[in-house]
Amino acid sequence: MSEKAMKPDEQSHDLAVRLRGIGKRFPGVIANDDINIDVRRGTIHAIVGENGAGKSTLMKILYGVQPPDSGTIEIGGKQVTLSSPAEAIANGVGMVFQHFMLADNLTVAENVVLGAERLHGIGAGARAEITRISDAYGLGVDPDALVEDLGVGARQRVEILKVLYRGARVIILDEPTAVLVPQEVDELFGNLRELKAEGLAVLFISHKLDEVLSVADDITVVRRGTTVATVDPAGTTARQLAELMVGSELPQPTREASTVTDEVLLDVRGLTLPTPEGRPLLDDVTFRIHRGEVLGIAGVEGNGQAELVEAIMGMRPGATGSVTVGGRDLSGTSTRERRESGIGYIPEDRHRHGLLLDAPLWENRVLGHQTRRPSVRRGLVDRRAATADTQRIIETYDVRTPGPNVPARALSGGNQQKLIVGREMSGEPTLLIAAHPTRGVDVGAQAAIWDQIRIARREGLAVLLISADLDELIGLSDRIEVVLRGRLVGEFDPTTVTPTQLGSAMTGAGDEPAQESA
Amino acid sequence: MRRTTKLAAVLSTAVLALSACGGGDSDSGGDSSGGGGGDASSDIRVGVAYDVGGRGDQSFNDSAAAGLDQASEELGIEFQESEASDGESEADREERLRTFAEAGYTHIIGVGFAYSPSMAAVAPEYPEVSFAIIDDEAAVGDNIANLVFAEEQGSFLVGAAAALKSESGQIGFVGGVETPLIQKFQAGYEAGAQAVNEDIEIDVTYLTQPPDFSGFADPARGETAATGMFDDGADVVYHAAGGSGGGVFEAASQADGLAIGVDSDQYETADPAVQDVILTSMLKNVNVAVYEWLTAAAEGDTPTGTTRYDLAADGVGYSTSGGQVDDIEDQLETFKQQIVDGEIEVPTTP
Amino acid sequence: MTSLDPRLVRLLLGIAAPVLALGAAFAITSLVLVVAGDPVGEVWSTILSPPETRNVVNIVNAATVLYLSGVAVAIGFRMNLFNIGVDGQYRVAAFAAAAVAGEAWLPGVLNMVLAVLVAMLAGAIWAGIAGLLRATRGVSEVISTIMLNFIATSVVAFLLRQVAVREEGSNIVSTRPIPEGSRLPGIPFGDLPNLEIYGFVVVAALVGLGYWFVLNKTRFGFDLRATGRSAPAATASGISVKRMTVATMLLSGAIAGLVGMPLLLGSSYAYGSTFQSGLGFAGIAIALLGRNHPVGIALGALLFAFLDEQSNPLQILVGVSPDIVAITQGVVVLTVVISYEVVRRFGSRLEQRRVAAALESERSAKADAKQEASA
Repeated sequence: MSEKAMKPDEQSHDLAVRLRGIGKRFPGVIANDDINIDVRRGTIHAIVGENGAGKSTLMKILYGVQPPDSGTIEIGGKQVTLSSPAEAIANGVGMVFQHFMLADNLTVAENVVLGAERLHGIGAGARAEITRISDAYGLGVDPDALVEDLGVGARQRVEILKVLYRGARVIILDEPTAVLVPQEVDELFGNLRELKAEGLAVLFISHKLDEVLSVADDITVVRRGTTVATVDPAGTTARQLAELMVGSELPQPTREASTVTDEVLLDVRGLTLPTPEGRPLLDDVTFRIHRGEVLGIAGVEGNGQAELVEAIMGMRPGATGSVTVGGRDLSGTSTRERRESGIGYIPEDRHRHGLLLDAPLWENRVLGHQTRRPSVRRGLVDRRAATADTQRIIETYDVRTPGPNVPARALSGGNQQKLIVGREMSGEPTLLIAAHPTRGVDVGAQAAIWDQIRIARREGLAVLLISADLDELIGLSDRIEVVLRGRLVGEFDPTTVTPTQLGSAMTGAGDEPAQESA
Repeated sequence: MRRTTKLAAVLSTAVLALSACGGGDSDSGGDSSGGGGGDASSDIRVGVAYDVGGRGDQSFNDSAAAGLDQASEELGIEFQESEASDGESEADREERLRTFAEAGYTHIIGVGFAYSPSMAAVAPEYPEVSFAIIDDEAAVGDNIANLVFAEEQGSFLVGAAAALKSESGQIGFVGGVETPLIQKFQAGYEAGAQAVNEDIEIDVTYLTQPPDFSGFADPARGETAATGMFDDGADVVYHAAGGSGGGVFEAASQADGLAIGVDSDQYETADPAVQDVILTSMLKNVNVAVYEWLTAAAEGDTPTGTTRYDLAADGVGYSTSGGQVDDIEDQLETFKQQIVDGEIEVPTTP
Repeated sequence: MTSLDPRLVRLLLGIAAPVLALGAAFAITSLVLVVAGDPVGEVWSTILSPPETRNVVNIVNAATVLYLSGVAVAIGFRMNLFNIGVDGQYRVAAFAAAAVAGEAWLPGVLNMVLAVLVAMLAGAIWAGIAGLLRATRGVSEVISTIMLNFIATSVVAFLLRQVAVREEGSNIVSTRPIPEGSRLPGIPFGDLPNLEIYGFVVVAALVGLGYWFVLNKTRFGFDLRATGRSAPAATASGISVKRMTVATMLLSGAIAGLVGMPLLLGSSYAYGSTFQSGLGFAGIAIALLGRNHPVGIALGALLFAFLDEQSNPLQILVGVSPDIVAITQGVVVLTVVISYEVVRRFGSRLEQRRVAAALESERSAKADAKQEASA
């Protein structure tokens, strides 16, 4: 792998975009911190990183959707302030979103002209311009076709045409291949090469490493909100990129002596979950977790991790197969029964699934424990006992808050997460499911949460740990299963496995032939 | 939660705003108070409580207002008006009557049967005040006059006219709201038509069912209903549908058919474009009833109890403007005489 | 501001919003009056004049009915369900109760209790249809309840004709009147005869109390509020959102069924063509005004009833259409929602700053202690 040196300043006029020290904070979360990127004219520049690494925030800043808290943006060598997408467009920055923004019942030409009527009018002039752009970049778009008759790939080209029509010299594509089939991906890449040949700069956001390596001229890796490296794809492998994405230099959880026993607490057999179209999201997933054991699930995001957790929690009605916890078969039971039989659940998205943001902490303590003491007695919510128990969690888990009556929204992300961990450890669970337990929390909270997972393991819980952070998985797990396209494709021993090995298993680059992303 | 709240706020405000609009420009009562001008000679003060729609509804309420205006002009009576709002409570109606009584009005008229329970409740509290109610005989009391009409008799005559004019042997009836009152119109109409032609086919439809009273103020629905009848082969359609009647005239005009108006002489008030389709109108002279009651009251002899305005009393009848019934007037007059003489008894229910 | 007692701040903020809203509504209505050339002073002096005894009775009675309607809507709101169908639900319920009670199958008080139960059942069923559609087919309850309002109108009209009795000489169509013994006696008020507050006001108060208790003290209420705040979080916590949707609509509908009961048992004794309509829509405005709080809804209901009652004589005494208060009411609702949002954001910022400040001082205190220890 060859890391590129940052270009000297005197060459900055060759740069289409130059970002320096971009930072963006949300309450309790640092989304971007000291982002530095140079995008050269006439190149495709890929930005890679795990979900939640801060790519989307960065692109929103560059497209004027959100202002940065710190740092500077230079476009074409000129420092600019972008406070709206309109200003970004005026400065030659255009964006193609993952979800297309086209009116189905209008023609291609009408969609392109819509909102940009002042540029070339709405008549022959506009049509001529559309045809010119389409031909110049080989987009092959028929201006009179109805958008509703177009396929996904063609719609994407219309979106690109829209951006070009508005005079963009820098085009941002947000996960453009996520919606495409392999042939369409090849076509798209062809189009992108045309664009760069014409001197445009393309910013390409993705977490599909093989694609990035095949099309990009430069690759910048974003991790935990900051740019960790800019590399040349020619000298870089997917494994190396994966390592950069999940990192190894940040504080690492340290391993402890094994507490694994023979007693099986979680037994999952043949868990299968089809989409309505019949494609499997989970495909015959079978595994066991013993008392005192942490099973880590590794995988590139979107390969079935979320579905696996929700199927075990009983939140996916279409799932088949059996889930047994502590000897009790929970197949077909409700989420509440599963929780009552001893499952603690730290959800992946704490704002969506873990908390009632506008409710006070003590009510959040009750959440998920509505049928159990001390929160509820004989169908009545026991506010005093719940508040007292919240106070216990605040003290034991070091939740920084003025008290249990503060709304959850007022807490920082790390403290919210500590409260959730504390809550889920209440009521003597036998199984703890932790999905990305340290995502988006500060380093201090991360260490605290790691400690709690170790304590849980010591106390004889079975822990199912899902994480995108390989260091976390290796440091905490007793065993690691890799999930790929809804199937468990390999088991690793964390004491011997390297992030590189895991990375190749996760991308399917190991024993299995690598597939084009579909 | 908050999104729902906003949506709810906008919707409920819209509902309130619409109900405000529905009331229309109803503050005309203020302008016409003391309408008698300088020569206010009578010492009675009249309060008129209209039904929903109030003065300016081109129908029932307007007819009462016409009688009021006439009495005010000729006798110099001071009056004040107030109208009901849609969907109001019994208490609201009672309060309206009480406010008049408390404010010193000596004669209070409730326009429409909706005032029946409230008048029955309020009248005994103010024995010195005289009350009158139109279209209701259920509210009885020593100080209540019940002004009722023999709508079936007038409808009999226009039914006969329809049958005489029909070439297809098929006629129609569009009722505004299916209440017993409007069914009286239907019953008389059918009887009159059958008296001329026993085999006549009569299409009957009502625009709405109580408690939905929008059928009295929905011309679009009136037009749809009448168009259906004309398409079905009817060539004369009689409407007893208040403000919805305009749609019936429109339908008749488009279908080259004929229509019959109601309550007042609609030939005089309808849009000139549809004037020539108005065969005749069933006159229900609410204005006459109001005027006569007020005249008697001004003379110090306020009637109480039921007064029935029928053909004999010229309380109901048919109009001849436009001249379309000139050729059958003899036959209609014969029927009228037979009803007045009691030779024909007109049913009140269909 | 942060130095004030947080509870006092919360109270002040709570009062600020409605005061702000009422002030704005007063100003906007006055503006409309001025533009229309109506006597602003006279209008307000009539509306704001102290009500007479009988007006007080009318206000309390009207507020009783509006309160029940407001609570019915509020139950839905607490779960993020927008039950626009209270209007149809109470009409179906009032009709069913009137029809059953009119038959007098049971004697006296039992007949009355039966009527109330029938009303709650009918309202619950009518609302439950929307709940089921939402839970099983994902049909928005906004759409389905609006549609059910229309259907209610037609169904009630159709059935009313089947069971209607007609008093001689009257043109009002109504059900058979409830026998004397099964009517709910009123509470005498003042020294005038026939001046009675609906006996049902007691039931309304109990409903308010029950609403508060169930929502705030029981597990069911917790589940309901949790689902309203965040359906995904509720699902993850083990609440069956679908079941809660149906249960909430049933409950909302059952309370909606009570809306017509004060009128039926206390004044009209029958369901007929002049039965008061539109109460369900007023309930939406009142629930918003009262912020779904049992006391707030009561105040909102009283305000609406006060405005309605006091505006009734406007046309007779001042010559201005009483519809002007519909403008006031509408503006109150809009400004309440806006001002609550403004106040909420302000309060939320305040809270965040307070939390930050508390943590900061805690930290610096620790740092100080450390320094002292090391010194």
